[in-house]
Order: sequence, then structure tokens, then C-alpha cells
Amino acid sequence: MGEPKDKIGIKEYIAIALFMIGTKTTDDIPSMLFDSLQNAGWIAPIISGILAILPLFLLLHIAANYQDKSLIDIIYHIFGKFLGFLVLFFLWAIGFFYIVLDTATYTDIISTMYFVKTPAILIYATLMGVCAYGAKRGLEQIGSVSWSVLPYLQVSLFLSLILTIGQGNLGFLFPVFGPGEWDVLKESTMKISLYMDFLYLFMLFPFVKSTKDFKKGTWIAFFLILINLSITMVSYVMLFDYKSVMLLNYPYHETIRSISLGFLTNIETLFFPFWLIASFIKFAAYLYINIMLFGKLFKIEHFEYIMPAFATLIVFLGLLPESPTFAIFDLKAMVGNLASPLFFFLPIIMWTLAKFKGDLRK
Amino acid sequence: MFNIIQKMKPKTRTQHGNKMGKKKLAQDVNPNLQKNLDTLKVVYSYPDNTDFLIRELFISGLNKKAAILFISTITDFKLIDEHIIAPLLNNKDENIPIHNIITIQSIENKHTIQDTMKDINSGNAALFIEGEKQAYSVNVANFEGRGIENPENETVVKGPKESFNEKAFTNISLIRKRLKNENLVIENSVVSQRSNNVVYTLYIKDITSEKLLENVRERLNTLDVDAIQNLSLLEQYIEERKYSLFPTVLYTERPDRAVSFLEDGYIVLLMDNSPDSIVLPATFWSFFHTSEDHYLRFMYGNFTRLLRIFALFITIFTSSIYISVVTFHIEMIPPDLLLAIAASREKVPFPAVIEVLLMEVAFELIREAGLRVPSPIGPTIGIVGALILGQAAVEANIVSPIVVIVVALSGLSSFAVGDISMNFTIRILRFGFILAASVFGIYGMTAVFTLGLFYMISLKSFGVPYLSPLTPKYKSSGDTVFRRVLQHETFRPGYVKPKDITKR
Repeated sequence: MGEPKDKIGIKEYIAIALFMIGTKTTDDIPSMLFDSLQNAGWIAPIISGILAILPLFLLLHIAANYQDKSLIDIIYHIFGKFLGFLVLFFLWAIGFFYIVLDTATYTDIISTMYFVKTPAILIYATLMGVCAYGAKRGLEQIGSVSWSVLPYLQVSLFLSLILTIGQGNLGFLFPVFGPGEWDVLKESTMKISLYMDFLYLFMLFPFVKSTKDFKKGTWIAFFLILINLSITMVSYVMLFDYKSVMLLNYPYHETIRSISLGFLTNIETLFFPFWLIASFIKFAAYLYINIMLFGKLFKIEHFEYIMPAFATLIVFLGLLPESPTFAIFDLKAMVGNLASPLFFFLPIIMWTLAKFKGDLRK
Repeated sequence: MFNIIQKMKPKTRTQHGNKMGKKKLAQDVNPNLQKNLDTLKVVYSYPDNTDFLIRELFISGLNKKAAILFISTITDFKLIDEHIIAPLLNNKDENIPIHNIITIQSIENKHTIQDTMKDINSGNAALFIEGEKQAYSVNVANFEGRGIENPENETVVKGPKESFNEKAFTNISLIRKRLKNENLVIENSVVSQRSNNVVYTLYIKDITSEKLLENVRERLNTLDVDAIQNLSLLEQYIEERKYSLFPTVLYTERPDRAVSFLEDGYIVLLMDNSPDSIVLPATFWSFFHTSEDHYLRFMYGNFTRLLRIFALFITIFTSSIYISVVTFHIEMIPPDLLLAIAASREKVPFPAVIEVLLMEVAFELIREAGLRVPSPIGPTIGIVGALILGQAAVEANIVSPIVVIVVALSGLSSFAVGDISMNFTIRILRFGFILAASVFGIYGMTAVFTLGLFYMISLKSFGVPYLSPLTPKYKSSGDTVFRRVLQHETFRPGYVKPKDITKR
């Protein structure tokens, strides 16, 4: 199999992007934002989104200039063999570390919110088993699966949001800027790593049908994600108020526990499968991109064969932290702080160097 | 050294045997009539083989001895009598070619014994004449079979009610009746070495993609088997993934359905002895659709589609949802219902999984047995099955009443998916989900569902992705879960790469 043979269309690309980044609103990222921004947490995705436009724009500009090259080749080209390798290795390491932490978070969500008695290792192994299988099938399959289930998942998310907003209180949103305008701006800037995954998505550039599709897809996905993130966070504040939302680790799951639909008072199990499908696809895509990068770095042509091995490794690494709910939360914040400047400055450096080399034509 | 010789031995022998066989068959027709007759008598084990007949006669006008050879059970006696024997015996003319004596529409000259034998085997009569280096093969074939009847598996309320039967020529005629176009091509190829089974490949020349056609031809030509009696067996020879749970070859007994696929650029295979046709390639949707969806008006057709997709999900998921809700997610049931379920399950000594599995297996057994029972006692079995397994099992506290409802619902819904292969797929899938639900509840079910989805999407039937045109997207009329108004179905499905994509 190796690299994908057929290219994916714009729909599939948008779906993959939505799953990789959009699902963040349903894990512990919101609580990370609420922690520092209190009730203004929902503004963070918007402000950091506006900031993220610059690196995204530069990346698109660079990618369009080097037709048919993925981000990996471009980085090698711009930075040279040695430095390029270091940059890519650093990107891979952050990506890998992030997958470990994120899968650990999702396992923690499942085992603390839904399957309290089931051993975490079984839940984790099942999660990674499915993801590794999906990733091993290849990019086209991940794209197709994403697109075929996306409408249903989006509907289920919006249904839960409508119910939440219906039961929420608009007054909880005020004062709009929570701890103060300056704080909001400062903290939001630090959270730009929310959109870090776009950097990884650029590695799929040569596998999307056309440059135009990729450009259009990236912007559509970006705005959809931005809207999804802020609306869901608004609804969390409206339902819980900022004091309690700051205490919650997984606000989405608390939300679907609190809302009811007619005679059904506990409907979290209705939303749970949709969220699960989204998570499976999300990590399949993460794993695929990460292992593809690894394969490129170490010249492994059929990189799909090392996926099961990496999936197993991830399970054991992810199980290491003793009290995942807190340890992983802190570790994730740390990785975020490291990734934010990387995501912001790497495209700028790349663009400058490319300009310097005279590769960019207007 | 000795080992090598031993290993070589059987190989050389078979090679030798093949050569001998070919030599014997490729023998030319001998001018000496008696020699030809002797050869054929040996080949057909003449006196022992009771339906192989030889009629020797003297053609008076030509002053020559002749013999007619045929297999009586697959030929038309009357034709041979009136149109071959009588004209030959009554002939007075001296310089008249045989073609002008025999009054049957199709006569061919055959120069080798092998060719002649092939024709005799397929119902022709062979005429050998003293002193001639050729045999005349006269078409008098008459195979017994049944007439055109109603379709049994793909019944419709509105629409044509003809179905294919076991004669390939009848089936081709049913198709030609619906598709009166010179571009409809019917190729035939022999696919088995010993029984010489013929497969007819049907396609429309100026629509069907050359690549797809080449793919099908190649698969048919590379078969190396002694006999493939019918299409159900051929299907298993040419499909890609033999162990897969999902079918990748569509099987239909309705000529109208086969024609509508032909018109879209698909390829249809026909064979003698098969009251059906094979449509290549197949997608998930072709198993999900029926021909009636298009015969019914837009709203009605889509209503049945809606019901069917609903039935599909009920079949796959009800039992497993019941198990996972009862064992893992009790909180989601409203309290009153929960109490009712608890009360009904109070006396049942088994966990929910065992209970459901018991009933599911029982249902499958009734279904399988119901198919095999001789028809006079069929209804009795049905009543006994329903009564004993439903009523009595509940009264004996082996299962709770709610499980009977759940299993009956999923069992009945499974019939809404008409295609036999897809029907099996969802019935087997159901058990997978039941097991997953018993281990991990909704989590397990979702995991299996996602795995299944990944698998299904990676499937291909003759190069066509299984879920297209849903994903990956192709230009098409968008006939997936729902269909459009006929006037808006303006494209042929792009995934079969038709030469002409617009329907006018």
C-alpha cells in the first residue's frame, strides 16, 4: 500500500479536518480554556483563530508554490537535509506525544464517565485497535468513512447544543470579557495550538485532488471548526455558569448528562456512540499522519505495517500516568505551550527562507 | 536422485495424457465413413450409451452411404425425421449439394471430429457421408426446461412479472425484448474444461467501459476448472474476496432489473441452468435497492426505501441495543419502563445475552427449517415453532416477554432486505454486534460498527468502491438511500466509467 494511490476529494478532506480538530471541543480542551479565561473561554477559539489565519495563509501560499510537494518535502527543501530532519523530527515527536496524551484523555473520558467498572487497559486497547485498523486501511478509507458519517455526527452535536441552549441561561455569558480584555487576548494567543493540527494536515497536500480544492477545503474546514468550537463553548457556559464549568473536566459529557429530551431523562447514551465514532476516526487520522511522517523520516516505504506496533506502544505509554484526569491535563497544557509558538513561527520562518531562496513567485 | 525421478513421474504422465487426448480429438474427418463411425462409437461407448443413436442410410440420388449421429434426449426427433432423413431418402437429383437437400435453417460444415463432437454434445445432429472430408452439423437441439414464470425471490406489486428461467436463450430473448438496440452485444465464452459450460457476457457496446469489460473477460478466461454448472457457482469463482462477509456480485432473477443495469453501463452474465443473471460490478446500494423502488411513484418509492433502511438498522441493532442497555446503560431507560423490564426479567435465570442468543438462534433455526420442510407440513411447523418457542418459553421462564418482542422485531425486519446475499450479511452481522454489546455495551457496538465501516469502504467490486457514489464521490444520479424524480436522474453512474455519461 504505502502512500495513497487515489487522491481524496475536497469533501473527504474537510471531513478529516473537522474530525481532527473539531472534536477537541468534546474533550478537556474547553476546561483548559475556561480555567484561565473563566466565562470568556468561548472567545479564545475565535481570537486564536484570527491569529491562526496568518500561519495558515503563509502555509497555503508556500504549498501552492511548491506544487505536488507535501509539507515534508518542502521542509526538507527549505531547511536542508540536516536541519529539515530536525524540524520534522521535532514535529513528529510533538505529534506522537500529543496522540499518546489525547488517547489517554479519551480513554479516561470513557472509563470515568461511562464504563466505570471496566479496566482502563481494555478500553484503551479497543480504542487503539480500531484506530490502528482504520489507519492501516489508508487515507482514502479514512476520508471516505469521515465523509459518510460526518452529517450524522454534526446533527447529533447540534441536537445536543440546541437542547443545551434551550435549558441554558443567556445571562451567564456576561461580562463578555470575563477576566478582562488584556487577559483574554494574552491567554487566547497562547492557545493557538488549538489549530496546530492544520500543520499536520498540510502533509496531506499532495493527496488532495487539486490545489484549489485544498485551499478551499482548508478555509471551509477552518471556519466550520471555529464556529463549532465557539458555539459549543458558549453553550457550556450557558448551561453551567463559569464557576462550575471551571471545575468540570469534560464539559461535553457533563452537558449531555444534564440535558433531557421529552420523556427521556438520561440521553447521554444516545450521543455517546456518535461521539465515539468521531473519536475513532480522529485518532485513525492522527495515527495515519503521524506514522506517515515517521515513515518519511526513516525511509520506511510501507509504513502501514508499523501501525499495530505503534498503537501498542501508545497504549502502554498512555497508561503510565497514575491519575490520568489530572496528570494528563497538565502534560497536555505543557505540550500546548510548546506547540503554540511552533505553529505560529514555523510558517513565518519557512516563508521568509523561501522568499530568500527566491522560490516564491507571485 | 530417486526422489526426483519419482516426483517427475506423475507430471510427465499427465502431460503425455493431455497430448494424447488432444491428438485424438483434433483428428480430421476421414473420407471413409466406417472409420469415422468406429472412432465415434468408441468415444461415445456406443452400445452401452443408450441415448446416443446412429441412423445409417443410403442417399439414393447421390448413390452414397451416410450416417446421422445424435443424442436423442437433447434433440428434436420430428425435425430429424421430416427435415433430414425424409429429404435425403427421397432425393432423386444427382448433382445437388447437401445444403440444398436438408431443409433446416442452420447447417455448418465441420472438418474435425473434435468440432463435430462438440456440436453433438450441444444437441446438434451430425451427418457423415461416404467419401466426404467433412461432416454436416445440423441444428436440431431441443433441451427440456420450464417456461417463463413469476419471479419468486424478487416479487413486486407494480411492474413486470417475468423472470429468467434455466435456458440462456430464453433469457437473452427476454433481455432483447426490452432492449431493442444493435449495440447490445452478447459474447460467449467457454469457462470449464470438461463440461464445456458457456457463459454469455452481455453489454452495450457504446456505453460499457472497455477496461471493465477487459477485467471481466480476463477473469472468465483465466478460470481453470472442470465444470461450473451455473451462475451461483460462477459467482464464487470470479468474486474478489472469497471470505468476505459482504457480497460483491449482484444476482437478480428479473430481466427488467438486468436491463436497467445494462443501460447504465454494467455487465450482465447469463448461463444455461441458471434462472437468474449476474450483474457486475455491484455496490452496496445495488443490494439495497429493488426494481420496484423505481416503478412506484417518487414518494411511494422513497417511502419503501425509508422503511427498508429502517428495517436494516433494526435487524442489525435492536438485539444488541437491548443487551447493552439492560446490562450497561440502565440509566437511559425511563424508570417506569425499567421497572417493567426488571419485573419481567425477575424470574429468568440467564443473563440478557444468553436469553437473546437463545431466541435468536431459535428464530434462525425456525427460518432454516421452514425453508426445508416439505410444503404440506410447512404451516404446522410455523405454528408449532411460534407457539412453543414464543409462548411456552416465556411461561417456562426461560426468556422474558420483552426478548420475544425484540427478537421477533429484528427477525421480521430482516426480511425487508430482499437480496439473499445482503440478507445473510446482516443476519450474521447481527450476531457480531450481539457479542460486542455483551462485552462492552454501546462502546463495543460502536467499535465494531466503525471497524465494519472501514472494512466496507475499503471493499471494491471489479475496481468500483463499494459505497460509491456516496463516497468517494462520482458523477451520478445520486441513487443511494433515496432516489430522485426520474426526470432528474440524468447521469449514468460515473463509477462504472461509462463511455457516455448522460442519459437523454
